[in-house]
Formats: sequence, C-alpha cells, structure tokens
Amino acid sequence: MFGYYFRLSLRSFRRNIILTGLMVLAIGVGIGASMTTLTIYRAMAADPIPGKSARLFTPQIDNYGPVNLGSDTKAFQTADRLPVSLTYIDAVAFMRAHAAPRQAAMYATNVAVTPADTKQLPFRAPARATYADFFAMFDVPFEYGAPWSAQDDAARAPLVVITRQLNDRLFGGANSVGRTVTMNGDPYRVVGVMDSWNPEPRFYDLNNAFDAGGADEVYLPFTLAIARQIQSNGLSCLKSVGSGWQALLASECIWTSVWVELPTAASVRAYRSFLTNYGNAQRDSGRFHWPTHVALRNVRQWLAYRQVVSQDVSTLVLVSFAFLAVCLLNALGLMLAKFMARLGQVSVRRALGANQRAILAQCVVESGTLGLTGAAVGLGFTLLGLGLARGLFGDSSAVLTSLNGGDVAIAIAVSVCTTMLAGLYPSWRASRVQPAWQLKTQ
Amino acid sequence: MLTMKNLSKVYRTDVLETHALREFTVEVREGEFVAVTGPSGSGKTTFLTIAGLLEEFTSGEYWLDGVDTRGLNDRQRSRLRNEKIGFVFQSFNLIPDLNVYDNIDVPLRYRGLRGAERRRLIQEVLQRVGLSSRVRHYPSEMSGGQQQRAAIARALVGRPRLLLADEPTGNLDTQMARGVMELLEELHRGGATIVMVTHDPELAARAQRQVHIMDGRIVELEAEPVLVGQGSVEGLRRAFGRSA
Amino acid sequence: MEIRPILSALRRNKVGACLIALQIAVTLGILCNAFYIVQQRRALVARPSGVDEADVFTVSNQWVGNPPNMAALQRADIAALRAIPGVRDVFPAASVPLSNSAMTLGITTNPDNPRSMHIAAAYLGDEHTLDTLGARLVAGRNFAASEVHELDGIFGSRPPIAGVLVTRDLAHKLAPDGQILGRVVLLFPFQIRAPVIGVIDRLQVPFVDGPDNKIGNIVEDSMVLPYRYVGDAYWYVVRVQPGALDAAMRAAPGVLAGVSHARIIEKVRAMSEARREIYRADRTMVQMLTVVCAVLLAVTAFGIVGLTSYWVSQRRRQIGIRRTLGATRVAILQYFQTENLVISIAGILVGLALALGGNLWMVDSFSTARLPLAYLVGGVLTMLALGQLAVLWPALRAASVPPAIATRTT
Repeated sequence: MFGYYFRLSLRSFRRNIILTGLMVLAIGVGIGASMTTLTIYRAMAADPIPGKSARLFTPQIDNYGPVNLGSDTKAFQTADRLPVSLTYIDAVAFMRAHAAPRQAAMYATNVAVTPADTKQLPFRAPARATYADFFAMFDVPFEYGAPWSAQDDAARAPLVVITRQLNDRLFGGANSVGRTVTMNGDPYRVVGVMDSWNPEPRFYDLNNAFDAGGADEVYLPFTLAIARQIQSNGLSCLKSVGSGWQALLASECIWTSVWVELPTAASVRAYRSFLTNYGNAQRDSGRFHWPTHVALRNVRQWLAYRQVVSQDVSTLVLVSFAFLAVCLLNALGLMLAKFMARLGQVSVRRALGANQRAILAQCVVESGTLGLTGAAVGLGFTLLGLGLARGLFGDSSAVLTSLNGGDVAIAIAVSVCTTMLAGLYPSWRASRVQPAWQLKTQ
Repeated sequence: MLTMKNLSKVYRTDVLETHALREFTVEVREGEFVAVTGPSGSGKTTFLTIAGLLEEFTSGEYWLDGVDTRGLNDRQRSRLRNEKIGFVFQSFNLIPDLNVYDNIDVPLRYRGLRGAERRRLIQEVLQRVGLSSRVRHYPSEMSGGQQQRAAIARALVGRPRLLLADEPTGNLDTQMARGVMELLEELHRGGATIVMVTHDPELAARAQRQVHIMDGRIVELEAEPVLVGQGSVEGLRRAFGRSA
Repeated sequence: MEIRPILSALRRNKVGACLIALQIAVTLGILCNAFYIVQQRRALVARPSGVDEADVFTVSNQWVGNPPNMAALQRADIAALRAIPGVRDVFPAASVPLSNSAMTLGITTNPDNPRSMHIAAAYLGDEHTLDTLGARLVAGRNFAASEVHELDGIFGSRPPIAGVLVTRDLAHKLAPDGQILGRVVLLFPFQIRAPVIGVIDRLQVPFVDGPDNKIGNIVEDSMVLPYRYVGDAYWYVVRVQPGALDAAMRAAPGVLAGVSHARIIEKVRAMSEARREIYRADRTMVQMLTVVCAVLLAVTAFGIVGLTSYWVSQRRRQIGIRRTLGATRVAILQYFQTENLVISIAGILVGLALALGGNLWMVDSFSTARLPLAYLVGGVLTMLALGQLAVLWPALRAASVPPAIATRTT
C-alpha cells in the first residue's frame, strides 16, 4: 500500500505544482537555515579531545588582586575576575612542583624560518614553546620521530617538533628527523614530525580556536625559548614592569598557560589543594595581599568559561530555529488547507472501503514525502548556508570544510520528523471525516 | 441480504434532537431491486448511509449478508463496506485527481488485491459498462453520463453483494438517465441486489419493489411490474401531494 | 464593516486562523530583533577609523636572522618607500588601526587613584604618524622630530618622552573639564610620565571586536607615543596621493627587497581591505539576518495567501449568496481585509511579547541594548502591511465571484 500512497502523493503534488513547490521551498529554507547554524554551533561546541576532555585541566590564579582600573576594564574581565593566563613565575613554579602526572607550560609565539634551500624565501611560522609532556598529554600523533624528552627540557636543548605541512614545505615530506631547521637565525634539530592533528576548538589556544591557518607549525622547548628570549604573542600587564627580559620574567604580566593531566578524582582534589596551598604561600611571602583565589577547569569547563561559542552563533541558532518554526507553521497551515479541500475525496474513499488508518497512512505518506523532498532541498540550502557562514570564521576553518554524515542524518531526520509532525494534525483531521459526509452535503 | 429491525437513528446537537429514523424495519432479499422513495428530509439518505455502513445507528439491529453490524469497529466496517457494498452517488463522486482507470482501482487497492488481479477485474468491468475507450480520461473530460458509468464501474468492480444508489440519475439529462437506468436493470437481471434512493416515482416504478419513507418510518408499497402505468403515478401524486 | 460575523467565521476556522496568527507572531518577534541587530552592526561597520583609508596601505615586515643594524635598515626602507612615485608619507608602526593587534596601556592624570585609570590603545609613532594616517589635530601640536626616540621593544630600555598625543574622546575622559593640554599623564604598567601635547580628532583603537560591543566604550580611546619602533617585526604604514594606491602597493615589496633580502614580507594590504577583513563576521551576520528576514516575510506572506485562498474557495457559494443579497465587490474585499486585520492584530500582540522576550534574552546573555520602541512600531506596521498585501490577491478573487454561483448546486 505504501507504493500506492506514494504515487497518490506524487499525483497530488503534480496537480498543485506551485503550491507544493513553495511548500517544499519553505521547508527547505527553514531546514537549511537551522541546520547551517546547528552545524556551526555543534562544531564550535564540539569536544576537541574526546575521551580526555574531562581529565585535562588548566589552573588559574589571581595575581592581580582586587584592582579596579575604572569601568573600562570590565571588557577585559572574566566572570570570576580571574586572569585567563599565568605569569612566568607561576607557570615555572607549577612545573617545578610536579603536582600532576603530566604537565606542560606553554605560550604562543612566531618564528622566522629560513629554508635550507636558498631558493626559498624565509617565512613566518606560528610556534608554540612548551614542555615534552604536551605531546603525550594531548595524544599528538607522530609521522616520524618522537617528542623531545624531559631531560631535553631541563637541558634547554635546541630541538624542534614540526608539523607535517611544514615538513612538506621544508623537506618535501621526507623523514627529516635529525636534520636542521634555521629559526630566527639559530639552528634547531628536528626530533619529530607530527601527523595531522587539529583539535577544534583549539582549547589550549583560544585566540586561534577555529582558524586552521593559525595553527602552530613549530613546537620548541619552553626552557630554550625563554633562554633565547623569544617573546610571547600576547601579553597583558596590569602592574608596573621594569626594563629588559629579566624584568619581564619577574613581572606580574601574564602570557603563559599550564595544562595538566589529572586521571583520577583524587588527583584532581590533590591538585586543587596544591593550588590553594601555593596561593596561600604566595600571600604569606608578601606577593599577594588578598585572599587566595584559584581555579582548576577541565577542557569543557574552560571552553564554556571562555565563551568559545560566539554570541552571533547562539543568536543565529535561535533565529534560525524560530524561522524553522515559522516555515513549519506555514507548511502545517497549507497542508491543513490542502487536506481539508480534499475532504470530499476522503469521504468517497471511506465509502469505497478505506478505513481510518488507510486515510491516515495516505496523508502521512504525503506529508512525509513532502518532508523528504524538503529535507533534500534543505540539505542543498545547508551547504549554501555553510558557504555563506564561512565569513564568520575565516576561509581556512576546518569547521566548515565538511558537513559530516552525522549532521546530514540529523538534517534529514529533523526535516522528515518535523514535516510529518506538521502533517499529523491535518492528516488526523482528514482521517476523522465521516464517510457519510459526501452524501449528506450534496 | 439486508435486514433492519426496529432501527433508530437520532442526531443530537446541543439544542436539538432529530429522529431521522424511528423503529425502522425493512428487509431486502438477495437479488431484489428495491426503490426507496420519500420526500426531502424523510430519512432516505440516512437509511442509505446506515445501510452502507457509513454511519452508525442509535438502536435496533442491522444484519448485512448474515453479519450483525452492531459493535463493529471502523476497520471491520470499512472492510465490510469494501467487500460487500458498491456505492453509486448522485454527483458521481469520482476523484478528480484520478483518471477512470485509477478511480475504478480505488476499492481494489483497499482490498489489497495484487496488480494482475486488479487489472483483470478493471478491464472486465470497463467492458461491462462500455467505457473501455475512456480509460485514461479524467472525470473533467467526460460527460455526466460517462462519469456515472465510471462511478458504477467503480461500484461494481469489487463484485459487491449489494449496490446502493443515491439518486443515480439526479444530475443527468433524460437520455443519459435512461442509459444509466438500463444499466442498473441489466445488472439486476444479472443477479445484483440493488437498493436505489430516488424521489422520481417513474424511476421507482421500474424497481421490483418500492419502500416509501416518511418521517423516518417505513411505508411499504408493493409495486409489482404490472402496476407500472399512468394510474399508479397519478395515485402517488394524489397520495403525497407533490408533483413528480 | 461589521466585526461580529468575521469573528464567528474565524471561530469556525480556529486552527487556520491560529496558525496564521502564530506565524505573524514569530515573524514579528524575529523581525524586530534581527533588524535591530542588523542596524547595530551596520552602524558598527560604518564607524570611521580616523584613517584616510582610501589612500593608506600597510606592509608587514619581519627581519630575519637578527641583523645588527635594524635601525639603519629601517631608515633606508623608509627612504626607499618615500621615493616610490605618489607616496606621500611613511612611518613604522608596532600596531595599526583595523588590525586587531594592539598594545593597551592604563592612562591616568591622577596616579594616586588607581580607580581613575582608563584603558587605551597606545600607538608608537613619530612626527610623520599623523600625516601618514591622515589623522587631524584639533588642539596642541604634533611631535617635533627631535622629540622622537627609537625603541627596540617596549620591554627594552625606554627613554623618557616629551609628550603624548591623545584622541578627543580619551581627552574628554581624562579631563572632563576640557583642560587636557599640558596635563601630565601616567602610563601603566611602564610608569611613563609625560604631558599631553596634542589632541587628535579621531583615531580608533586597533581592535574592533564588535559583536558583543564590549569595547564599544573605549573604541575611540587611543594615544600616540613618540617612539619610533625598531624591533624585529612591524608594519610600514604608507600614505599615497589619491589614485596612486595600486601602483605603490605593487612597487613596495620590490623596493624593500632592494634594501635588504633578509626579511619576510607577509602582507601588503590596503586599509580598505583591512576594514573588510576585520568586519567580516559582522557583515556575514548582517547578510544572514537580512536574508532570513526577507525569506521569513515571504514565507509568512505565502502562508497568508495560501490559507486565505483556501477559505475563499471554501466560501465561494457563501460569497455568491452575499453578492445576490446586495454585497458590493468592495464589501467582499473589505470582508477579507478586515478578517486579515483581526488575525494580524492577534498575532501582533503575541509577537510583541516574543520580540520583547527575545530582546530580554539578548540583553541577559550578551548585554546588548534594549530594543528601541521605533523597531517595535516599525515591525508592527510591516506586519500589518504584509498581511494586507498578502490577502489582497485572494480577496480580489473572492470579490470577483459572480453572484450567480449561489444558484448553482456545486
């Protein structure tokens, strides 16, 4: 019977080709708009490191105290008034304490890379100064070689891990372990080449959370970067600083972050008390003149706290779902009109032996077919919308390069379900028509 | 074939209670051609809708082909309707979206027959009503007479035991009406049981038996074929005070 | 036109009428808020930077391999850039407007009270900075060449300076009395002290991240310090005579390569391009919301046309009877227009609540501004007009129903 109902609905579409076309278009546009924003939202709110996001933590500590620099500074403050980065002093202290099984301090910088091949021009590469644990902690895959070791960290060894892209550019994709890269005029020895790795959102580098083009290409030991006075990209100071590199290291300026892996609830508790104790010790030593204020957030909490999902996207999700609601109300109304206009036919069918369920099935198949067509059109609009939305992120964002199978399945399911839901009331109304209706009204 | 005993039908609204049929008792035997007559609002159509299982009744009994129809659910009633009853309507009630073939196909679909069986039955019935050349035509492309033939074909295709016709010639001119009437009579000769509602005494007179309804009650008139003639029509006119 | 018969007819078409009213409600709710966001963003994107954007471009420059004579190289670069035909002025900048990369400092005229501190963006520049950007002084004076010091990094050694330039908005915050010239300001965190010697008409801070409008209140708060930046990475800002931009931009990389190859030039970018890039998200938002609003209006109108058409076809006989009873075409037209008005008003009442609710949500989550009354009024008028226009076609069809239809049975 399904085939029969399906052919009947096609026939009914053909008879009202304009009306049907507009309904499909309306549903399609609604689905397209909401799926576009939902896809973006899902990408932005995605878990960048599934399976580990609950075990990776970043500590924060209040090294500013209750300073109030006028109303203008509110723009730069977080909800709990904690700085979002750490001072060099605190980062190094946390590393020395070894309070977590794995831990890595880090900061973002840029290096000037001079290719060995003199025909190639020098170029700037985004770089990250960090510790050996970074790679194991974040499950970074390696194509060649391996990360440097904790001994290398201690020895400030001039080693470097590069990405596959940079390896392709500098060494034509060959195994470059042991070869030399010249950065900022100094030689560095390659110890490892990373395989493709691109957690999104990039939780440890929220200034470049979604821009694949801004991803670090070079990783070098933090200790060495400090020794070579390689400056951080971002730096925020609210207290006076003296002149020179040593003054910067000793200052209350914030420009580093620390990530730690805490595998058990007990280790999380232990790290929290370590942080509190550290804060108290700083107060006792006279560095802080205010109550200790620390925080320890895992990846998910951190992303929520830093409001990685842009307000624009939240707004658009709301708007597009309201829009979808209008499109569905519209489809519901038109389907109601369409089915009601056909009540005569329905009662004839009833007289010819169709039971209520058969009528319901026919109407539901018709609205479902409409929904499926709307879903197909909506998928097209989704692709179009994602193209348009590229402007929200930047062209190179991986968020928008592919719509994955799950998103497509969701789009189709939402479309068919909502249209069938919208078709359900009119169908039910149609199936309730008295078979004698046609006789009585003639 | 069709037996109603003390059957009543009451329509209730908030303010009104209408007794459409009261203490209604009638029997139609297999192979009979019964004409149901009566003035507007007498309960003719209600009788037909109940007989056709399109509506439920308030009290009494209704047996259709040996089946007690009381307490049947929608599925069972739909099935009975589909298998045992064929409807012919005054305004044909062909589905405008479907051509002749697909219209005739509708009851067979609901019976769940296979494609080959459906095709065979449809071809057969089309020949019977003489519409084989119009199979692909849509209702809007045919004359009233042709439409009614298609509608009769649709009523017959499932080989129902009982044909219910509601003013089958009401929307047709005299010539076409005669053609349709002849078709019904032919069907009757072929053994079909037909119940026809009409207010046209001339048509009613062509039936084997007439049942007259007034105010929801039955007034049976035995109308043997020999009575067909001027006199009886005049008599009817006098009796019911309305012009035929 | 009597309302009562319309109301009773609507009661019999409850579901359809409710659907239209709901559509109108949600549409109005979205429309008001979306249009408000669109207008806010357009205003945001239209903010002038204070730079002569049509005639200014930037060249990013990073020295490679720590050349020992970076200051001399810079002087040679500037001379070479100035020699390009059509170039009017050049200066080396550590940050430029519309770049999203800034140095912000605390600034106050009252060092003893930290609460008097304001956050402002600091541009490093020289006596050519104002002319190169196209910024205009409204009071005081520019730096003299002799007052400009070289600085190889803000954390390096910082010679004392003779004065700073501040924008008019910042001046107003620092000295609401208007007496800013000559007042000494303290710059945090570097403990730099200097008098304000000039007031710039307008110079935006380098970052404009507007969507949340968090920095909206400091977007005009900039200062210029007389430090010529000679670190290893900076921009050359180049201003050209009108019409000479493209040629100069094409010539610049070659000219700089003529001075030295030991550098990376990542980007030669016109200011107009910088503006496009920095406001891309806002423009996208404007485009998306505009499209959504337009389609939304179309969908709602289409829904009204569809359902009203159905009602008209359902009531053809009834309309015919009215016509035979003496109703004019205009009366039939008015009937359907009034019916739509009744539905629209019901929808609009709900829609106003939705509009305000949506706005409250945004005020709550994003601390955006309250929806001005004008947007509500505009939205209501739009929805009324939309309803009346959409109903026109089916209503005209209804009006053209011939009275004779009443005499036919079907």
